[in-house]
Amino acid sequence: MARTNRPHPWMMLLPALAILVVVGVVPLLIVFHYSFYDIFTLQSRSWVGTQWYQDLLTSDRFYDSLARSLGFSALALSIQFPLGICIALMIPRSGPVRTGTLVLLALPLVVPWNMIPIIWLSLIDADTGLIGQAITAVGWEFDYKFNAIHTWALIAVMDTWHWVGLVAILSYSGLASISPSHYQAAAIDQASRWQVFRWVELPAMRGVLLMAFLLRFMDSFMIYTEAFGINAGGPAAATSFLTLDLGEEMRGFDYGPASARSIVYFAMTACVVWVFLRGFSREESGR
Amino acid sequence: MKAIKLLCLLLLAVFILLPFVQVAQLSVISTLGTPDAPLGTVTTLNYRNIFASSALTSSLVNSVTYVTLNVALTLLVALPAAYAISRHQFRGKRAFFITLLAFRVTPPVVLSLPVFIWFSQLNLINTPIGIALVHCVFNVPIAIWILESFISAVPRAYDESARLDGYSTTRFFYTFLIPVIAPGIGVTMFFCFVFSWVEVVFARTLTVTDGKPITMAISNLFGFNTDVGLVMAMTVFSLLPGLVMIYFVRHHIARGFVVRA
Repeated sequence: MARTNRPHPWMMLLPALAILVVVGVVPLLIVFHYSFYDIFTLQSRSWVGTQWYQDLLTSDRFYDSLARSLGFSALALSIQFPLGICIALMIPRSGPVRTGTLVLLALPLVVPWNMIPIIWLSLIDADTGLIGQAITAVGWEFDYKFNAIHTWALIAVMDTWHWVGLVAILSYSGLASISPSHYQAAAIDQASRWQVFRWVELPAMRGVLLMAFLLRFMDSFMIYTEAFGINAGGPAAATSFLTLDLGEEMRGFDYGPASARSIVYFAMTACVVWVFLRGFSREESGR
Repeated sequence: MKAIKLLCLLLLAVFILLPFVQVAQLSVISTLGTPDAPLGTVTTLNYRNIFASSALTSSLVNSVTYVTLNVALTLLVALPAAYAISRHQFRGKRAFFITLLAFRVTPPVVLSLPVFIWFSQLNLINTPIGIALVHCVFNVPIAIWILESFISAVPRAYDESARLDGYSTTRFFYTFLIPVIAPGIGVTMFFCFVFSWVEVVFARTLTVTDGKPITMAISNLFGFNTDVGLVMAMTVFSLLPGLVMIYFVRHHIARGFVVRA
């Protein structure tokens, strides 16, 4: 009887879709359009075809940046996932320690992104920084400005500080969904700690871990504000990631090439999401 | 074993809190040196300087305005969408999910140039509305994801009985659904608030002359002779709203991340 006045599901999706069209789809179409032009001003521009795409995809610099970004993602994820999962496993399932740890993990998430490099630079400042003074006291040489390994280390530690909480919170929410009876069953079977992790805890975390993996991979692959704030891509382009090249073109008002680059980056993003969802549905159907 | 775990959590606390300690410490120290507060003395000067500068105080207001607008808008459009996804099977659901995910992970820097051009034509530059709108590109997907898992935890019989009692979908939302998933709405508000508050690229691009967010106000403090103390005092202020939000959702932070594709 009441079934007739129930709104169709797409009607309920419509407001969300409308917003995504305005702030997502239309900008992408604009940038796609511009990527085929040489733009002097927005009123005077000339058609260049696929010139910018050819330039970008045949430049060594693009592949160097791509390699650096992939390297940074690999580094960040290989630290943050094991660490985040370990933290999640150490959190008790109830009580004040649980709440306290979760609050602690959420703290770095509320720091504005351009403050993060500012805070870390002040932390390692040799004169006034808490870590910087300690490094000087033990006699280490730490030079993030001119030593590429030190710049990488600083960005990796900073990124871990910033994001390990998200991995841990998501992992923990997976763990919290395990009913106590599963643990009891494992105990009756005299399962080792590793076996409990492998056959009880890991399957419960699989969904959230895949999601965390996608979020963390894309955010580290396309890291911009934080990495730029540390050393502006230096020393000698050693931390010049994909997005830093894009930012540079925009600041130089090279709108045509910047548009082509945006489209290439978005295509990479879409590919990653597609591969991820394929992998995810295989996992689901494999169960 | 338990002692080792606690020790590890303690180490984690030191690692996470150290940067905050640094900020708090520098924020109460005179880092430039004035006649009544020489270099290195402990002082409230930095905090007083914030309120002496209208650029800094108005940036706080600007940020709070667009973040609040964004959270309200996000909830308004995400709630029906999350409900539809949770309760209905329909053609195109998977495509909708892929679209959501793709926009969530699209880096702002990729969209910032066209959004600027497009919003200039719509007269949405220098207003909080423009920023509130553009932040939906990553917040709407996140909100739908979190809300969907909270709604799915509510038994379907609940909707059916309300419908049999003659409630319209809109009234069902207000009277039944929203109270039941209140923690989920809290968690959603928290994450939307946070992601909008910390975002820099869009917020900077869309404010050319006016309506500067707090993040830009702090960046603008850097110059030839930067007052680090003032920067840190402002950073403390930039953390406060987030801390308040964390406090409100502290019992629910790790709930509602169920993943179904």
